[in-house]
Amino acid sequence: MSLTTTVRAALSIVAMTWWLVAGLSACVQNAPPELLQAVEALDRQLVEVQGAEFAPEEYARFVDRWVAVKGRLLAEEDVIHWPWEADPLVTDLHELQEDGRRAAATAAQRKEAKRLEAQARLSVMEQRLRVFDGLIDQMGSRVVLGQRPIETKVLVSQARSLLEQGLYARSLRAVQEASRLLEVQSALLNAELGRYADASKVEMWRRMAQRTVEWSRAHGAAAIVVSKADRLLTLYRNGRRAVSYPVRLGFNGVLEKRYQGDGATPEGQYWVIKKRDRGQTQFYRALLLDYPNSEDRRRFQLARTAGAIPAESFIGGQIEIHGKEDMFLSQTLGCVMLDNREIDAVFEATAVGTPVTIVGAMNVTNAVALALAGIERVGEDQDAEGADVQDVVEASAVEGS
Amino acid sequence: MRHVFTFAVAPILLLVVGCAKAPTDKLAAAEQAVTEARTAGAADYMAEDFAKIEGMLANAKTEIAQQNDKVAVLRDYEKAEQFLVAAQTESARVMGEVGKKKEEMKAAAIQAHRDAQAAVKTAQQLVAKAPVGKDRAALEAIKADVRGLNASLTEVAAALEAGDYKAAQSKAKAIQDKSHSVSAEIQSALAKTGAAKGQKSALAKKK
Repeated sequence: MSLTTTVRAALSIVAMTWWLVAGLSACVQNAPPELLQAVEALDRQLVEVQGAEFAPEEYARFVDRWVAVKGRLLAEEDVIHWPWEADPLVTDLHELQEDGRRAAATAAQRKEAKRLEAQARLSVMEQRLRVFDGLIDQMGSRVVLGQRPIETKVLVSQARSLLEQGLYARSLRAVQEASRLLEVQSALLNAELGRYADASKVEMWRRMAQRTVEWSRAHGAAAIVVSKADRLLTLYRNGRRAVSYPVRLGFNGVLEKRYQGDGATPEGQYWVIKKRDRGQTQFYRALLLDYPNSEDRRRFQLARTAGAIPAESFIGGQIEIHGKEDMFLSQTLGCVMLDNREIDAVFEATAVGTPVTIVGAMNVTNAVALALAGIERVGEDQDAEGADVQDVVEASAVEGS
Repeated sequence: MRHVFTFAVAPILLLVVGCAKAPTDKLAAAEQAVTEARTAGAADYMAEDFAKIEGMLANAKTEIAQQNDKVAVLRDYEKAEQFLVAAQTESARVMGEVGKKKEEMKAAAIQAHRDAQAAVKTAQQLVAKAPVGKDRAALEAIKADVRGLNASLTEVAAALEAGDYKAAQSKAKAIQDKSHSVSAEIQSALAKTGAAKGQKSALAKKK
């Protein structure tokens, strides 16, 4: 073989080798690092937007494909392909990136909708609670509810805290529990005070009051009627209304009196059995009533037998219509309290043997009945506001889509 | 002889060599890793990451079941193995992080509980000083509130005991806030009583 031929053969071998190496290099798989980082960033973003919770199907598809792609990267698949062909791994990564973006967008949108729902329901609950509190104060029946009002407020406060931490499902559960407690309180109030809205009961009270007024006319003497719901004492002379004064009752005044210390002002027909003048009472001047009468004793025994009141409780006594020991005194332990100038007028007009009838209310549109109706509306409004909340959530879903 | 080899022995060899085995060992290892992550609190403190791991394990099981349904020679467990490896890797990562997150949350919840206890105690002490006989209804209501707040502390303790630190912290914070409100209400009443006493003394002096 000549030198020329040898050189040509060697050059051919070198060229072929070079082409072979170049060709193989062009085919070697190399997933672009920036594309990999972009997909990894999407993976982290999906965790942050709680993809598994808010876009479970989309997230599962993304994870499924991401794991498969990572497996192929580790196994170094698709190592060889022709340079003019599309790289299947890069194609898959691009598709995965799009999938991830869509999943993240869906999760973010649904998460925002959940936040709006939790926010709206909490706002509704807070408003309900404000209205409810106002109505309770109006009735003067806060003590009836015991610890329930503060438990409800703690739950609502907790719901607000959970919302601020982004724990929307937990916030909604706390609101739901608070709503349940509010319904329990409403039921309790209706059980204790529903008689103020009971037409037959109110009619019975009116007849009691009417009998007292008739006694006043028949005897040409004074008589007193006290309406607890209106917090009003009316003095009758000769069967005619002479004057009315605002009164303060027991700290649980609107309730039916059951036992000593319950703070309720009794209801019934009583008589003044003693007049205590200045110096004879700590409350300026006082009219002692014959509570407990036979009807009170009968009710007390029944309640104790039924276990409705503590076994160790007493029926109590010393219920008076009296003045004020202290100008700042807001309630009594069960008595009927007037300003001192007003007790002067009542004291002078009455005598031992004057009838005193204390009733719950004189008409069905009394303050307690109206407050109870308001409480019921608070519960009904919740359903209407629930629909409004749903509208807000759906509107946000439309905006995001 | 060559034909016998080709048509009898070769297929048998192919079957023996070509049948893939289900990755039972890897599945057991992945399940163990996920269980350990759950026990460590991953479901509560790294909920999203844990959901992803559970998804991977579920996908692996589904893939294994699908492959098991196929003719033996056609089975390919590679994808299932990828899921199992990923589940195990992620579980190990989560295990490394969840302990710290849990301890941070626990410390915050315990501190919140202490703060709430202190706030309730302050409210209780103020109730003891509250002016008796002025607004008895308000006083009785405040007493009921403080009793309620004190009772709610036991719910915080129960949540701490159960390891639900998020619930414990949020509840404790709510109790603390309400205790402060009650204390402020009592202090306002005490201030009014002090002012009223001063006014009363002034009036008495005038008489």
